[in-house]
Amino acid sequence: MKRNFHRDSVQLLRLSEEAKNIGGIKDAAVVMGTTTNKEILQKLNLLTDEGRAASESDMILAVMADSQSAIDGGIKQIEEMVLRPPVAKGRSFYSVDAALQAVPDANFAIVSIPGEHAREIVLKLLDKGLNVHLFSDHVPPEHELELKQYARDRGLLVMGPGAGTSIIGGKAIAFANVVKKGKIGVVAAAGTGLQEVTVLLSEAGLGVSEALGTGGGDVKAKIGGITTLQSIDALEQDPATSTVLVVSKPPDADVKKRILDHLASMTKKEYVTCFVGPESYVVPANARARIRATKTLHAAVMETIRATEPSRHTEISKHFSMSQNELLDLASKISKGLSEKQKYVRGLYTGGTFAYETLVILGRMIGDVYSNAPLDHKLKLADSYRSTKDSIVDLGEEEFTVGRAHPMIDPTIRKMRLVDEAKDPEVAVIIMDFMLGYGSHSDPAGAMLGAVSEAKKIAEKDGRVLPILAHVCGTEQDPQPLSEQVAKLCNAGIEVFPTNALMAIASALISRKGKISDSTMEDVYGTYLTGF
Amino acid sequence: MDLVDNILRLFSSELKVINIGLELFNDALKAQGVNSVQVSWQPAPKLEKEYEDILSKIM
Repeated sequence: MKRNFHRDSVQLLRLSEEAKNIGGIKDAAVVMGTTTNKEILQKLNLLTDEGRAASESDMILAVMADSQSAIDGGIKQIEEMVLRPPVAKGRSFYSVDAALQAVPDANFAIVSIPGEHAREIVLKLLDKGLNVHLFSDHVPPEHELELKQYARDRGLLVMGPGAGTSIIGGKAIAFANVVKKGKIGVVAAAGTGLQEVTVLLSEAGLGVSEALGTGGGDVKAKIGGITTLQSIDALEQDPATSTVLVVSKPPDADVKKRILDHLASMTKKEYVTCFVGPESYVVPANARARIRATKTLHAAVMETIRATEPSRHTEISKHFSMSQNELLDLASKISKGLSEKQKYVRGLYTGGTFAYETLVILGRMIGDVYSNAPLDHKLKLADSYRSTKDSIVDLGEEEFTVGRAHPMIDPTIRKMRLVDEAKDPEVAVIIMDFMLGYGSHSDPAGAMLGAVSEAKKIAEKDGRVLPILAHVCGTEQDPQPLSEQVAKLCNAGIEVFPTNALMAIASALISRKGKISDSTMEDVYGTYLTGF
Repeated sequence: MDLVDNILRLFSSELKVINIGLELFNDALKAQGVNSVQVSWQPAPKLEKEYEDILSKIM
């Protein structure tokens, strides 16, 4: 253990990967001593008494080897690795002031330091006239409000806290995809939501002008949608933008009304709202002709295409459309080998908006679904590490990420979870998302294949089949080309869906062996896959 | 000045970025040809309790 020794979660992940390759070492990990990390080390048999005593600000170096000399040698090498100063690519500074002096014409900053330290730095950046993408979580709400008001008064954006993604001037910021330049502007308080809609609009050929992440907290009552409204005002004035898509999990009721009223009275362009959730909401009557309301990401993309290319929308959207019959046939083929006992859906998600969209669709199709981030708090999993009945797990939630890299970068937790799910004889189908783009793992599909094969073997030994479905969110231009990632999953016997919503519907049909009423299917197709 | 002018200028100008924290994001910007610099941020080290007590007595 190295007391009070800090490296960021991505550096630690890289160090862990490097440590595993040291000769004579069977397994290794370099992590901060958080509870989550200690639980994982315990599961991997890598936790000693010394590690157990580590605190959140201490670093644990763990190795497993056959002999004491291999362990000692391994630890020595890892210590040298962690003490080695990081090699900076390009110019690097040790203080924000020095960087601001060196780049006086900087116009944008990305801040991803621990949230409790963010306020002072962001205020300094705003004073210098920079717009800020604030990736950090755990920024106290009073700081969040102060920073956003301070920025608004100066005509600047604080995108975040907790903003995972943006696309500015065609450049991917933080976790984002390489999308075609186009006429659609996006404002999103939901990170994976922003990625899914920008990817699908790019694949549809419409392309994206700007995509602004606001952070999920922006649409809560305390903040009142400050960044969302600023972003709408900017895109309304932006000559390169023709249609604007506003994406969020359900905002606070007052904020939702404020956004809809603002759109109705202060804008003139075509708008699509996507408040992902089970409930319909009302657009002011005077603006219904140009503001289309939706409740899933899939529907939002469909309506954006309809608003922008009304005469060609069927042709453009065919890449990610599946008719009811196509979906029913596919589901019936996949569910053929399932036993009577296999009846539940298990979702292992890295993208929070995807997990939420799936909960909304499954809620309509099969009723109660458990989750660590459920629609209804009564359906909260007692233990996020153990599924029950139908369960959708968001592996990007805090209990899985404190002191660790996000599961879009580090597949360790999902690999372990997939193997656990395979041991449960009641599981009918497993669904997973794969996020491509900058920021994400260099080969998300490839990284899961070992665990997929292990999961399938466990089921096979038990005389079961284990269908696995996937949705890949990415483009051909991403650092991990879409077609290569899809091919890897298909070759492993995984069924890949063009949108998360279609995968969710298929999982409901498979788990219930096609027994979903016609009226439910009609409603799902009529109000969840299109505007309502 | 219209309150969205700064934001519109951001959309139409070349990005010049200061990245504070995760180097991963700076690497991604560099890979896209964006002009960016890295600030390697470290939290102020926490002192051991006994040193903190001594310091609080003498300061």
